[in-house]
Amino acid sequence: MNEPGFLQEDAFPGNDPPEKKPSPTDEAKSARFRTRLTIVLAVLILVPSMYGFVGKFYEFVRIYRGDWEGSFAIAPMLNYLLASGGFLCLFFWATANRMFHDIEEPKHAMLDNEQRLDQQLGGKP
Amino acid sequence: MTSDVKPLLPRHDDLVNERLVAWYFLAALTFLTVSMLAGLLVALQLIRANPLDGVELLSPARWRMVHTNAIAYGFLANAFLGCLHWAIPRLTLRPVASVALSYFIFSAWQFVVVCTAAGIILGPSFQAQDWVAELASQLHISMSLGAQGVEWGETPFWIDPVAQLGLLLVAINFMTPIVRQRGPMYVSLWYFMAAFVWTFLTYGMGNFMPEYAVGGVSGGAVGGLFIHDLVGLFVTPLGWGLMYYFVPIMLKRPIWSHGLSLVGFWGLAFFYPLQGIHHFLYTPIPMFLQYGAIISTIAVELVVTTVVINFIGTIWGDGEVLKKNLPIRWFYCGMIYYFITCFQCALQVTLTFQKLIHFTDWVVGHAHLVMFGVFSMWIFGIMTYLFPRLIGRDWHSRKLCEIHFWFSAVGVFIMFLDLGLAGVFQGYYWASLAPWDVSVMGSQSFWVVRAFAGLMMFAGTLCFLVNLYLTWRGPVRELNPDIDVAPALA
Repeated sequence: MNEPGFLQEDAFPGNDPPEKKPSPTDEAKSARFRTRLTIVLAVLILVPSMYGFVGKFYEFVRIYRGDWEGSFAIAPMLNYLLASGGFLCLFFWATANRMFHDIEEPKHAMLDNEQRLDQQLGGKP
Repeated sequence: MTSDVKPLLPRHDDLVNERLVAWYFLAALTFLTVSMLAGLLVALQLIRANPLDGVELLSPARWRMVHTNAIAYGFLANAFLGCLHWAIPRLTLRPVASVALSYFIFSAWQFVVVCTAAGIILGPSFQAQDWVAELASQLHISMSLGAQGVEWGETPFWIDPVAQLGLLLVAINFMTPIVRQRGPMYVSLWYFMAAFVWTFLTYGMGNFMPEYAVGGVSGGAVGGLFIHDLVGLFVTPLGWGLMYYFVPIMLKRPIWSHGLSLVGFWGLAFFYPLQGIHHFLYTPIPMFLQYGAIISTIAVELVVTTVVINFIGTIWGDGEVLKKNLPIRWFYCGMIYYFITCFQCALQVTLTFQKLIHFTDWVVGHAHLVMFGVFSMWIFGIMTYLFPRLIGRDWHSRKLCEIHFWFSAVGVFIMFLDLGLAGVFQGYYWASLAPWDVSVMGSQSFWVVRAFAGLMMFAGTLCFLVNLYLTWRGPVRELNPDIDVAPALA
């Protein structure tokens, strides 16, 4: 019971008509909305997470200075601080290297490359 | 003014070793079958219908560990490695560091998984032999030759260094093309890069620290971190990284907001490592650590919300595709389950709720929804998309593909609801201080439903395997560059 065409037509809708392109005004509106939403969510997420990191660091220093009741916690906290400290450095490195400069560009480049790779596979120029 | 002439890209065949991807997928499906059979055996034991009752080597306690380890290291790890061999070279436009190393890692990883299963099943019986005990005493080996006493870290101590080395080689092999990348990186590569670092650290932390370095409460706290970080820092970043890659290429449109996806990534990076202690609430672990874990768990729900918003924004206005495009349906169904499981997580870590459901089947239902309902379903979607390309044949039967989806999606949801309810009942039985047996008897009906739900999921997987076999035996299709080769972008 071979069903040729299932993949082409259904699983991979390759021969769909090209999508209608949104107008420049819609695009600009959508981009503004995206930027605002990203900033709001970034503040909601990254600020408390940084607060958490500083809090853990403060607790770690307190324990180091002799709060013996908390000494149980040194191993898990050290793990957290090592991992998060590494990512904090990576975050600063990425910012300094303009990784977030043209922040939406990589998604277009990825899609473009995928298309061209598949065209090559099919023998197209 | 920029030039329209784009640099020539490397050929797909020079980037992706398709045979290796297929091998990884086949290994993954083999271990998935073993794991599901083991799970079925444990389910039958719970309803007192174990067909292997009395066989020491096949006792449910050992098979339970085979079930979890085979799904984590046998199915998910193998499937992810296969997907990464496809995605990373195409994202970076550079091949992995070494194809020979890739084949070595493939062989070594299967060795690790098989040895883990052998250690869990045979280790305790082997150790009971007098001569083995004497030899271990002479060599000052105090550890068990079988499973380690760390949940999800049961890999025997003698296989841990090999697995750790394997993870290091995996990181080297895949990080090489990523670090050669110039300019801003696509979000998937951020997730992958983090996963390679996190997985290596997490595995070392969970398998070496409690065994050799820290004991007691501190060891328990590290164990808690390990359990959750295995999900959050190994499986989650790889899973989401793959979704950010496969969803846009199949929908033929970029992800809604790349900026938002990066917020999700950095949120995960800073919040997730704090969570693990929530597995040990009400223990002697200092309360500030428990509170920290609770708050960060609830906060991760915010991170998850950003990710889900992003994917809903991506498919917005094109919902019809969910009906006809099977891989996309697998992906989005998994995302809905992911949101549910994270929401559930945020609720169940509150101390009042935890008091009720701790140690109950609620947790088991939660674990099944996340491991099967989310990550396994995403992998099934990717396999549904990639297998025809890997073996050059169209799927033999759409009906079998549909059955696979519906049996898996409905089966795991029934199991999740059933075990969630069972957990609440068990919690109230225990809170009422009724004898233990009463809670066991009260759970029987739930466990029967659970066994049937498991059978449904297994039947779906069997349909997939049969379909795959029939597809492989079927005729090779002719390549159509407009449709077959570039299906998502034509």
